[in-house]
Amino acid sequence: MERPRRLWQPMRLCLSSGKGGVGKTSLAVNLAFALAGQGCRVLLVDGDLGLANVDVLLGLEVRLTLRELLAQDLDPRAALVYVAPGLAVLPAASGVAELVTLTPEDQVLLGRLLARLGRDFQVVLVDTAAGLGPAVLWFNTWAHHNLVVVTPDPTSLTDAYALIKVLSRAFGRKEFHLLVNQVSGEAEGERTFAALSQVASRFLEVKLDYLGSIPADPAVQQGVREQLPFVQAAPRAAASRAVASVAAQVLGSIGLWHSSPQEEAGS
Amino acid sequence: MKPLPPSDRCPVSRRRCPLAAEVRRLREECQRLLELSRTDPLTGLYNWRHLVSELDREMERTRRTGLPTGLIMFDLDHFKAVNDAYGHQVGDAVLRWVSRLVRENIRRLDIPCRYGGEEVVLILPGTSLPRALKLAERLRRKLSGAVLTLDGHSLQISASFGVEVYSPGEDLSALAFLERADRSLMEAKARGRNRIWHRDRHGLPDAVTPEERQYLLPRMKNYGTTEAPVAADASVSEQR
Repeated sequence: MERPRRLWQPMRLCLSSGKGGVGKTSLAVNLAFALAGQGCRVLLVDGDLGLANVDVLLGLEVRLTLRELLAQDLDPRAALVYVAPGLAVLPAASGVAELVTLTPEDQVLLGRLLARLGRDFQVVLVDTAAGLGPAVLWFNTWAHHNLVVVTPDPTSLTDAYALIKVLSRAFGRKEFHLLVNQVSGEAEGERTFAALSQVASRFLEVKLDYLGSIPADPAVQQGVREQLPFVQAAPRAAASRAVASVAAQVLGSIGLWHSSPQEEAGS
Repeated sequence: MKPLPPSDRCPVSRRRCPLAAEVRRLREECQRLLELSRTDPLTGLYNWRHLVSELDREMERTRRTGLPTGLIMFDLDHFKAVNDAYGHQVGDAVLRWVSRLVRENIRRLDIPCRYGGEEVVLILPGTSLPRALKLAERLRRKLSGAVLTLDGHSLQISASFGVEVYSPGEDLSALAFLERADRSLMEAKARGRNRIWHRDRHGLPDAVTPEERQYLLPRMKNYGTTEAPVAADASVSEQR
């Protein structure tokens, strides 16, 4: 029997880390640029609803944010800022405590909003806040694929593990894609992934998938200071090449045109 | 019945107006009947009808706000034996005593209800499982530690507790929620009474365990939990 055709849905990705300061937002912005550079239509959502940063990293002048869209009856497309061909940013507000605890009512609204905006894109990439707040957890369960950013630091490792544990135990997420940031070389990235994946397979019922590593590179810092994505400002830099290969890996391994197993299970 | 509109004064300011007096009397009567219709006469706790409607309302609040609703159900252990040995008068006195103890030990928003014979249900608005378990443990200790002197008899009681929490996203009716708490209570009884039971035994979400940390952080050091004395020769070697 033929299954009913589903409405078009973009692939939803969510980038989290547990710990702050691991370069998550910078990575999200540059990954979005790299994906757009590979011909993908991308919506980058600033999921840090309390302390937004994506707009700052890109030097955007922001008038409308997610907060206004949730509070008022507006056309959500009015808040989008196109920063490159095929790449739009949905900014969030900064200094807002109320949205950190995203209530179920807000969640329904936000879900509708993102579904409506997502129709024009192939990928919706959410950069979440640090920590395990309700908004972070919601975005992670909303997404088809969970990308977890980790650095070789022990603090980052334990926080990423804690995040994975919460998402798997309390929310039934079974698969996580790992990105190791700020590595001294590829070997360190692989070691970090191996360490985390070993503990996860021992104590949790999850599958960790390795998306690759991004080297510690002065171009990254410079991009942040100049409020420019390093993949554009310094496309030849080691970090830029690594992000491009991660983008290719995302499109390849996650498979843009494939429906995800988690989505099937969840619906 | 809805209460009458606010004014119970005579509209033409007649002194000792009999109509206004009747209105006041009816309002008081309304209030008294409303109170009666939702309380249990013996214990003064809320009755079953009020329990179900309040639980329904709190669960709706959970769905809107995301804050969980806690539920404690407890039952006095071997209460039938008290009734049989000392008579129903004493049994009723025990129930009244327990009800007062409950009212004195819950928080302002908690809703205490009588649920059948010697069963009490507490609705705990906006309460997570660990907090609900803590409250249940406090009540359990107070109940089992007390010695009642009634009618010249001195007797000791205890109770078994079932604790449950309703979280947003769960598809559950008020009655099904009560049934869950009841099952936990049965389990507490079956496991020997004077105890608290919950489906998730510990009631705390899984934190990263020490064992997991050992794998994640192989270089973890093991310090004592008390301050170690400074080694005597450490400062000596400094001075040299």
